[in-house]
This record gives sequence, structure tokens and C-alpha cells, in this order.
Amino acid sequence: MSALDQTIALSRRSVLATVRQPQNWVPGLFFPLMLAAVYTSQFARAVRLEGFPDVDSFLDFLVPASILQGVAFGANNGASELALDIENGFIDRLLASPVARSSILVGRLAGSAIFAALQAVFLMIVFVVFGARIAAGFPGAVVLVLVGVLLALAIGGIGCSLAFRTGSQEAIQSTFPLIFVLLFVSSAFFPTSLMEGWYGALARHNPITWIVDPTRRLVIEGFDWTDVGSALGITAAFAVASSLLALSQLRWRTRRL
Amino acid sequence: MTDLAARPVAAPPRGHDSAFLAVAWAIGSRGLLRMRRLPSLIFPVVFMPVFFVVAFSGSFASVTDIRGYGTDEAVNWMTAWAMLQGAAFAGVGAAGSAATDLENGFFDRLLLAPTNRLALMAGSVLYGQLRSLIPITLVLGVAFLLGADMPGGPLGLVTIYVGCVGAATVMSLFGLAVVYRMQTLQSLALIQIGIFTFMFMSIGQAPLVAIEGWLHTVARVNPMTNVIRLVRQGFIGDVTWSVTWPGLLALAGLTGCFGAMALRSLARIRP
Repeated sequence: MSALDQTIALSRRSVLATVRQPQNWVPGLFFPLMLAAVYTSQFARAVRLEGFPDVDSFLDFLVPASILQGVAFGANNGASELALDIENGFIDRLLASPVARSSILVGRLAGSAIFAALQAVFLMIVFVVFGARIAAGFPGAVVLVLVGVLLALAIGGIGCSLAFRTGSQEAIQSTFPLIFVLLFVSSAFFPTSLMEGWYGALARHNPITWIVDPTRRLVIEGFDWTDVGSALGITAAFAVASSLLALSQLRWRTRRL
Repeated sequence: MTDLAARPVAAPPRGHDSAFLAVAWAIGSRGLLRMRRLPSLIFPVVFMPVFFVVAFSGSFASVTDIRGYGTDEAVNWMTAWAMLQGAAFAGVGAAGSAATDLENGFFDRLLLAPTNRLALMAGSVLYGQLRSLIPITLVLGVAFLLGADMPGGPLGLVTIYVGCVGAATVMSLFGLAVVYRMQTLQSLALIQIGIFTFMFMSIGQAPLVAIEGWLHTVARVNPMTNVIRLVRQGFIGDVTWSVTWPGLLALAGLTGCFGAMALRSLARIRP
């Protein structure tokens, strides 16, 4: 069995493990949809505030944030599953077998990426059905899915690093609020131009804002190569950095055996 | 073999009130001790509600420009919401503690002991109530640091604590009703979905007049709306009986409803 076959088998296992446990994927779909539904009604009049981007409805404004929120939850769950594999000894058995070390990580991240793509497509379809409009059309939708996939790799990579380092599912679960913090202290749910003081400054310097803003412009303004480059480039840079970090942590765990 | 499922949950025998209270207190304080010993349990209790008040007040600082908020400062509006979220987390925590005991077999030993089942449930609810005092007080402190006002004065503080501890009671009972029925830790995901749907579909982040569409109708009939008004009134004006009694009535109704559900589920558990 080649390294590629091993990676495919482990990715498949990762996706199946997620699909077969609804408690792992339902919150990742439910909470973004619920928050979008609630905020669209609660902040319907906020779109008329001076300085708010020109949008038809608050739902249009929320589309990228909701997709990234769902994807982030899913990626964190993927890392949690890896920690469970470490806790129950499955990873030790894999390491004792002649399996390529990198396929353990790549398989897990690929599984998270596949699931993120499915989540992004599903969420986008639901939003469009409920009246959201993606101004950049089909190419814009593809970019949104790709950003979701890359964000899953970025967050999944950090989660996997922590999983390899601690081997604790509880440790991964405890990072979940940090994702929430990153999302909220950004332009994900409200424009940073309408935030004040230190909070606004913090939100403007949050990397999630750098990803959300160009992605949102694709949704509400239209297709623009600069926005595509910014959205994909920044997310890809984070994905590469966190994947390399995860790889180094996998090597650290392998050396301990 | 005795059919425990068919056995009704007995009221504490006369003269045994102190034993009932002792068991409830033991279960409640055990939960607090467990929380102190497991840092991962403290995190959502302390950090998340404080973050909520900072994040909601910061992210949605401009929404008070919309008519209907009744205050210029978002922190006055969002603090009550963040405190109620903390109380809800406390309810999830109480249910989580019971679920852990059910999974590891400790609850079976409690059921086999000569204790009143009602005391076991009361102990878990007590844990939820005591746990909720931590985020309520912390959020209040942070809110004042962020510049929150309290025109309602000391009475406003009373309505805050009554409303939030009442909400923790309601959420604990809801969580216990689900946990006693499903008897797994995985049921916590279901509880969280239920609690947050219930809470978000209210006037948590926007006044009723600013909410449009289907949510306006749902928020108007959601009992949580009255509970939020009860807790929030001290931050945006004087405390009035016309806002207080619907909140108290909502809490009483929800406590009765979820309490009956939890008791029913508890009566069906076999050790």
C-alpha cells in the first residue's frame, strides 16, 4: 500500500467517523444557521446605520462569517477525534505499523478539508434558498468553499499540533472558546468601522478580519481578483504554517515512542 | 426485583427534612469541589460569560443607535444577556456533572443508597444555582469596569440575581430532564442546542421593536423574553413591578414545567 493509498484510507476513515457521529457535525451546521437566522432578524435595521456596508440584508453580510464559523467548529472536532485516537491507542498502533508518518496527519487534515467543503456548500445552498445573494456568482462561491477548506486546514493544523503534543481530547475541547473569541473579535458579525476604541483596533488587527473582509466583498460587491488573492493567499499562508507546526509535533510524538 | 421505574419519586418523609437538605447540599457542594479540581470546568464558567459581555458590547457598540434600545451604551443592554448566558452555562454544567456520574456508575450507587431521589435532583440544581453566582458576579464587575450604569439601584441588583439564579434553575432542570432520559455525556450537545435556541430566540441582543420577521413573533411569546426584561430593567431604568412580575411568572412556569419533566425522567432510571 503506497503512502497515497494510506492517506486516502485515513482520510476516508476521518470523514466516516465524523458522519457517523451526528454530535460531531450537527453543532457545526446548527449554530451557524441559527446565529444567521437570529441575527438577520435581530439586526435587520442595523444595515441602515451610517458606515454599514451596502447590503440588501444582514444575511448577505453574514454569509462568509457563518461559513467560516461552521468550518472552524468542524476542524476543531477533527482535531478532537485525533486526540481521541491518541487516547485510545489507535495512533500508537498506526505508528507501530509500517504506515507513512505523514499520512497520519495528511489523512486527518484531508478528512477535515473534505468535510469543510461539504459544510460550506451546504451552508451556502441554505443561505441562497433563504435569500442571500452572492454578487461574485459561481466563481465567488467556489472561492468561498476554497477559503473554507484552507481555514479548516489552518485551524485543523493548530488543533492537530495540540493533539499530538497533549494527547488529550479535553485539551482540544478547551480551545473551542478561543475560536469563538477569534471570530467575535473580528469583522465576522459586524463591521469593524462601527466598533469603537481598543476593541475596534483589536478587531481590525485580527487575521480573521483579513480573511473575512475580502471574502465578504466577493459576496456583496462582486468578483475581484485582488479580493480573491487576499482571501485565498492569507488563508493559505495560515494553513501552510499550521500544517508545518502539526508535522513538527507529529515528529515530536514519534520520537517519544 | 423491585420495579424502580414504576416507583413514584417520594416526597421526603416527615421529620427527615434535614436529611433531604444534607443530601442535596452534599451533591451540590461535590459539584463545586469537582469544578475547583478540574480547571477545564472553570474555563467556561469564568471566561466565556466575561468574554460575552466584552464581545457583545464591543462588536455591537453601534446598535444602540437603532430606536428601541432605551440606552446609549451597548454594555447596558448586553450585560444582562451575558449574565443569562453564564447562568445557562451553569445549567449545562449541572447536567454535565449528573451525566458524568451516570456514565461512570456513581449515580447508580447514589440510587442504591437510602436517599430520596428528589434530593439527588435538588442537589444538582443547587450546584447549577451556586455555580451561576460566579459568572453573574464576574460579569457584573466587568460590566461596571466597561462603564455600565445601574439606574435601577439596589433593587436592580436584586432583580439581576433573582432572574439569573432563576434562569440557572430552569436550565439545570431542562438539562437534567434530558440527561436523566439519555444517560450519556453526549446528550450535552442536545442540551446546548435546546438552551441556546431558547435563549437566542428572544430579545437577548435587540429590543422587540427592532426585531423583524418570524423572530419578532417567536421572541414575543418566548418566556425567556420576560426573564431577560426582568434582569435587564435595572440597567436601563427604574425597577418596576409591571416588568418584574411577568419575569417571575415565566421563571415559575418554566421551573414547574422542566421540573416535572426532570422528575419524570429521574423516576424511570434503574440502577
